[in-house]
Amino acid sequence: MPSQLYQEVPLAEKERLFQLVKSDARFDSYLYGCYECGICVAACPSARFYDFSPRKITQTLAREDVELFYEQLNDDVWNCSQCFSCLRCPRQNSPGGLITIMREVAVNNGLKTTQEALAGYTRIIYKIMTTGTQVSPDMLQEDAFPDWGPQVKEVAANLELWRRALPPETLHTTGLSWDVEERTMHELYMIWKLTGVMDMITALDEGLHDIMEEIMEDALEDSGLTID
Amino acid sequence: MSLSERVMVIGAGPAGLEAARGVADLDRQVLLVESKGQLGGTPYEHYATLTPHLRETGDVMRAMLDGINSHPLVDVRLETRVVASEGEAGHFRVTLENADGQRTEEEVGAVIVATGFSHFDPGRETQMYGYYEYDDVVTLVDAEHMMQNGRMVRPSTGEPPERVAFIQCVGSRDRQIGNTYCSKVCCGIASKQSIEIKRMLPNAKIFIFYIDMRMYGFWEDQIYWKAQEEHKVNYVRGIVTEIIKKGDKLLIKGEDTTMGRPMEVTMDLVILSVGMEPSRGTLQMGQIFGLPREPHGFLATVGEPLDTVSTPVAGVFVAGAAAGPKDIEDSVSMGGMAAAKAVGLLNRLARALV
Repeated sequence: MPSQLYQEVPLAEKERLFQLVKSDARFDSYLYGCYECGICVAACPSARFYDFSPRKITQTLAREDVELFYEQLNDDVWNCSQCFSCLRCPRQNSPGGLITIMREVAVNNGLKTTQEALAGYTRIIYKIMTTGTQVSPDMLQEDAFPDWGPQVKEVAANLELWRRALPPETLHTTGLSWDVEERTMHELYMIWKLTGVMDMITALDEGLHDIMEEIMEDALEDSGLTID
Repeated sequence: MSLSERVMVIGAGPAGLEAARGVADLDRQVLLVESKGQLGGTPYEHYATLTPHLRETGDVMRAMLDGINSHPLVDVRLETRVVASEGEAGHFRVTLENADGQRTEEEVGAVIVATGFSHFDPGRETQMYGYYEYDDVVTLVDAEHMMQNGRMVRPSTGEPPERVAFIQCVGSRDRQIGNTYCSKVCCGIASKQSIEIKRMLPNAKIFIFYIDMRMYGFWEDQIYWKAQEEHKVNYVRGIVTEIIKKGDKLLIKGEDTTMGRPMEVTMDLVILSVGMEPSRGTLQMGQIFGLPREPHGFLATVGEPLDTVSTPVAGVFVAGAAAGPKDIEDSVSMGGMAAAKAVGLLNRLARALV
């Protein structure tokens, strides 16, 4: 039975996105054939908590069911934790790898559902891409992490002192998880630009892109690194 | 009464041919009785190619047929039936009847029954597939006939199909029909045919609807994985319950258990994977020689799993699909074994007379 969701999206558009996934250079070595043994689902941590099945993703791509593919591209691929436990597939498929390709296509094409799915991660994307570290100590606010208990408030109040109590000097930071060398950050910025990650961010969140672009441009200008 | 050293083989399919060749190679005379007008049995008559290597049946079996036709110890009787038998091991008196109704009596010391199977008649299926209503619902056998002619088409239009569905287990694994067994070869044959259709019609979409795919041993990667990986055949777990006509297409209804939802899709051609039942000849030989049938209706053997060819009647052996669903490898293996057992029995009887 064809999917009833996303009827407003033309079949040609779904087909175009499917062809982008199928023509990816990795596709053929990620998908051989599926006999529905379910070992990928058995191994999948996400499948235990969400209505998510790496088997169904693989099966849908194998069948070239474009309607269902589009539904999964919107509603399923962000439930994967990309842990690749599914690599134990006896047919040597990589359901997680197929999802990697689908995510890239979803991001590059600025799918609305992808923007929504990733909206909550704006701060983390900003942090990682501009500093190279993810959750920094100063993000530990009482209101942001109530499940961490009442001591979070006390720690946050004297954060710098607590951090200085840690033996490695590289951890005496509050705005970064650890001290990142300037040179490392500059190389990171070069990698984002050269590999097209900045373009992906444009499709996803133009405002975020512009903020980061400005930071990176200024830093690279001072660094003397140039893109030829 | 003197011992007859001759062995009668009934049925000239792969099992009977190999049994005849085996007996003759052991230096005994063979009386090979075949009801049809040619040697080779069901595969030779009906199948374009053989599973799993997809080689043309004629090419594969020709040497076997030539070996029998030219063997001085094999007396071939085509268009001939066994209509009566009396006596016992070492001394059977059998009555043969040819196409003209002429009867002759023959003395044989042992009998190998290799009368095979018949394809399940889909008019008897419990679902509603409409084999006798819709031109574009055919069987594996009909599809082989199309492949023999080199043209894979929708019978209703004569045009090549764009979407083809195989439905597995038609007439097999069904208590309501009375066949609770698996017919063993249909999964392999459907997969083989799907590869052949993709070779003939590369743009066709092919679906195989199944309960379990039963592709034992080397068939797993030789045909199942090959069909799926190289030819992009879609295997969908779920059996179709009904086929109805929708315009000039066939609408098939079932459950897609893989995705956990009901399924309604249109097809241009539906191929029913019909299973095996004992042939009429097998049932008749069972009556004539007093051979008991096992619970599924095929001829019973004793001493399974170690003896696959001895029946409870001394001097009568069975080979091939007369004893149950068999692939061709099993059939010829049984044929060779039945030959050895039959000649061995005659040797023992001869020693006892000395």
